[in-house]
Amino acid sequence: MSAIATPSLKRDSSLKRDLGLIGWQIRYEQRAYWRNRGRGIFTFVFPLMFLVIFASLDKGAHISSLGGIPYDDFFVPGILAYGLIATTFVNMAISTAILRDQGVLKRMQGTPLPPWAYVAARIGSTLVIVLMMTVITLALGIGAYGVHLRGSTLPGLLATLVLGTAAFTTLGIGVTRLIPNAEAAPVVVNLLILPLTFISSIWFPPTGMPNALIDIAKIFPIRALADGLQHAFNPHTTGAGFNAQDLQTLAIWTAIGIFLMLRFLRQPQGEVR
Amino acid sequence: MSCLISAVRHLRTARTPLNLLGMTTTHTYADGLAIEVRDLRKSYGEVEAVRGVSFEVARGEVFCLLGPNGAGKTSIVEILEGYRKRTHGEARVLGMDPAHGQRELRERVGIVLQQCGVQNDLTVTELIEMYGRYHEHRRPVDELIELVELREKRDTRARKLSGGLLRRLDLALALVGDPDLVFLDEPTTGFDPGARRQAWSTIRSLCDLGKTVFLTTHYMDEAQHLANRVAVMNAGQIIAIGRPEELGGRDLRPAEIRFTLPSNWSLGDLPDIPCEQRSLDGDRVLVLTKEAVAAAQRITTWALDNDVDLGHFSVTQPTLEDIYLELTRPVEPAQTAEEVLR
Repeated sequence: MSAIATPSLKRDSSLKRDLGLIGWQIRYEQRAYWRNRGRGIFTFVFPLMFLVIFASLDKGAHISSLGGIPYDDFFVPGILAYGLIATTFVNMAISTAILRDQGVLKRMQGTPLPPWAYVAARIGSTLVIVLMMTVITLALGIGAYGVHLRGSTLPGLLATLVLGTAAFTTLGIGVTRLIPNAEAAPVVVNLLILPLTFISSIWFPPTGMPNALIDIAKIFPIRALADGLQHAFNPHTTGAGFNAQDLQTLAIWTAIGIFLMLRFLRQPQGEVR
Repeated sequence: MSCLISAVRHLRTARTPLNLLGMTTTHTYADGLAIEVRDLRKSYGEVEAVRGVSFEVARGEVFCLLGPNGAGKTSIVEILEGYRKRTHGEARVLGMDPAHGQRELRERVGIVLQQCGVQNDLTVTELIEMYGRYHEHRRPVDELIELVELREKRDTRARKLSGGLLRRLDLALALVGDPDLVFLDEPTTGFDPGARRQAWSTIRSLCDLGKTVFLTTHYMDEAQHLANRVAVMNAGQIIAIGRPEELGGRDLRPAEIRFTLPSNWSLGDLPDIPCEQRSLDGDRVLVLTKEAVAAAQRITTWALDNDVDLGHFSVTQPTLEDIYLELTRPVEPAQTAEEVLR
């Protein structure tokens, strides 16, 4: 029967089949993710915990250097940025290193599932987690800390979230090359992320920070993501909430992320290590 | 439901689980060779791990690659599986070049790798189901669970399985796509004797169904028990190839007849025996002969006629292990590829 089918029809049906496979694979990835409590806590509960602690500590405070905006209008988007990085970059880098070391990537390579479909499913599963993270953080920010989600700056907010997710997800896969083994993964990842968060206006505003540090932070995507989100939440922001410079930085890092990701994926799993 | 239970009960008593489970080859292929390798070479930097290896594996054959660690077995298997690129030579697996990594080849090949993990947070059933989805043809999950005897562990997460149970899961995952060719890289390492026997009977039944099995092992008894043909590797080359009973001229070598002789008898009292050599050590006699049947008959007839009480009487051919150890005796301390890779 398949002999009658034309090659193009066959390709169509196999693409449809692969898309179905991606859907199934996302379900399995999700199931595995939520079953592993340690991972869930590390990437999901952590940022939310910081939100509650910091927001409670500085309740009712205002930031004079940012035109007297409420502290929460600055901090909630900052935590949103941190949560996004934790669920994409940190989660992806650590779990990919583990899968690589345990030989799961090698095993997957030996199955008929196309490698691109497997990567798509892993990214798809990450997007589900990012979405949940974003919704919970915003719900908590709006419900408990009086942050306002404004309709006018929503386009800028969404553009920043989408580009930020793209950059940090692809970078998370690509950075696996730098991780020598799975045990080292949390250390390497935090070494890359934590110092930058302190100069990237995640925990506190850049007030009084040396210009040199701000210039360094501006090179990296963490500040661009935090700043873009904070811009959209700032009550003084006029317009659609786009911050051109932040979006440009995130776009460049997305390109770098895709490049590094492809480089990691092209390397055969059998020969390395 | 009751049908399933009786099938399972039947299975426990029967020795050929696969046939009873109705496992059949759903896709057929033209007769010919499953694997064809010609002058295969693989170098890692300066070191040549595989140095010009040629062999063929017929469809439906159980072919075993035997050799000490670092002989180049895994390099060859992983080239055939598509994980590594060869440096030189030709390789065909089911008529395709494994270096191209076609999906069609991966549909028809099942792989049990050495020490290869699975998604640890999923259960046995979920994993078999998940890997099954990747294939166009697949075996039912329950059938595979029965086959590898993981009934009691079907809802256990892979993380909680012991090494031996994980190997059984490995086998189930390799068979999930109903492959024509199965690669088993040291499939029973870490098994207890019972589990090994079980795995052997499973592998045997794969062969009964016309599936080709490519096996590597360093267990002599495994090769002896399973393989139609054995290739012995050492230092990157095949040094002997043949049926296990013929390997290295094993069938042409003299058999050994051993027994003990009561002290009032001496070697000279024995009748004329067709043999290469006979010797006495204490009370133990060793006869080396190429005519084992005639020699044994002559000795036992003489013993019965003269009422001589021979003890511990045995006739043995040199074992595969004897031949193997002789063949792979190190000539020079060669540096293995694995050492260089580290």
